[in-house]
Amino acid sequence: MRRPLDLLSKGGLGCLLALVAFALGSTVDLAGDPDAIVGPRLAPPGPEWWMGTDNLGRSMLPRVMEGVGTTLLLSCTAVLLTAAVSAAFGILAGYRGGYLNEVVLRLVEVLYSFPAIVLAVLVAAVLGPGQFAALASIVLVTIPLMTRLVRAAAVGVSQRDYVTAAVISGARLPRILGRHVLPNVAGTIAVQGTYALSVGISVEGGLSFLGFGVQPPQASLGVLIRQGGSYMIAAPWLIIGPGTVLVVAILAINVFGDGLRDRLEPRETRSLT
Amino acid sequence: MILELDQVTVTFSTGPPLRRRALHAMRDVSLHVGEGETLGLVGESGSGKTTTGRVALGLRRPTSGTVSFEGRPFGRRRRELAGRMQAVLQHPHWSLNPRMRVGRSVAEPLVVLGRAERGEVREMLEQVGLEAELADRYPHELSGGQRQRVSIARALITRPGFIVFDEAVSALDVSVQVQILNLIKDLQADFGFSALFISHDLGAVRYVADRIAVMRGGEVVETADTETFYTSPAHDYSKQLLRAL
Repeated sequence: MRRPLDLLSKGGLGCLLALVAFALGSTVDLAGDPDAIVGPRLAPPGPEWWMGTDNLGRSMLPRVMEGVGTTLLLSCTAVLLTAAVSAAFGILAGYRGGYLNEVVLRLVEVLYSFPAIVLAVLVAAVLGPGQFAALASIVLVTIPLMTRLVRAAAVGVSQRDYVTAAVISGARLPRILGRHVLPNVAGTIAVQGTYALSVGISVEGGLSFLGFGVQPPQASLGVLIRQGGSYMIAAPWLIIGPGTVLVVAILAINVFGDGLRDRLEPRETRSLT
Repeated sequence: MILELDQVTVTFSTGPPLRRRALHAMRDVSLHVGEGETLGLVGESGSGKTTTGRVALGLRRPTSGTVSFEGRPFGRRRRELAGRMQAVLQHPHWSLNPRMRVGRSVAEPLVVLGRAERGEVREMLEQVGLEAELADRYPHELSGGQRQRVSIARALITRPGFIVFDEAVSALDVSVQVQILNLIKDLQADFGFSALFISHDLGAVRYVADRIAVMRGGEVVETADTETFYTSPAHDYSKQLLRAL
């Protein structure tokens, strides 16, 4: 039943942990203050500023560190919220079926029908641009898929004999859902959580790139890419640094998610994103 | 009389809206299980055996007809029956929660009733021929036969008056089947529970049942004592089943 993670997904996990450590460096100003002006404007990478400086003369290295931190923290918080909401509704709808199931599925389908970035912009328009809008967008974008897959897994688990045996023994709903259904769909939640995390990072990137997400001077990967985009020809290091980190983060999470899926739920669920 | 089904009909509606069709899973089924008796229920797939089991356990409300347990009709709430009737179900693979230690699974019916577990689990595991140490294991560390023994221990722990065995041995190897059937007979002698033994396996049913009911297409076509049934079946369908054995 338990197989070790393969080498590739171990690499993904390693990459992810390295990025987290990298981001944590900015909390102790390991590479200096991300907002301090330290040198000439648009200087190429050099011994004093390893990733170059931006259009205001701020060193890029601490800014990228702060940016990764902001993006990861936002996405992780959002995914935890998504997991809680999706688990609650998915499990209840999957176990109970009937009317509740229909309502949950229809609501989720409405959300699902919006392209991610359109939904995110809509949320930002309603809530006003900022971190909170980015958080809410990620939650709304990732809820539909996770809820549907958790529900599907819960439907399967609910038909198993140990659930029937618990019902026959007179177990109440909270016990059946908490002790029998939830632990057996936890694998699905974990796997979908990793995919949701990579979706979250790209939604944050997209929304902040458009200027509706995290607001400068705070750095996030989207903010940095937006700023770097203006100087793409004159100072490509401004966009290459955060761009590479964004790609590495999403790739690492997806590779790790695939490994986790193969280990936790062989042949059960496949990602659709 | 511990359990009595009187003129029970169960109707499912299937198919898309506007073209719904009524499907009778049970049609005027009348059965009874006496005190300490085992009633075998046989029939092919789709004959309504499992639905009958679910109705007997109060998991499904009949469309019409009444079900009485210990002389009283089923109440509104399923939970009133908790602990007094139990079941051993089909798939040894899914009969136990893979995320729960075996001991916790066995103790569950007691815990649900709010009773403290004081050594009953170990005692019960030994009763079904397992080592008490298995209580700390997870189901995937057990064989199919061991898991089915654990299911039986879980069913017996509240000392119920009535147990439904739904294809309880069908998924096991023949040699293990015999061991489990012997165990059921021994336990019945010790605990004195009544049973509804649902199976498509006529050999297994003959081994444990006192009386046999044959179902076909949702109806009971014949009810007879086991010996009478196997020596001189009355209904054509019963004869057909026995010839196939």
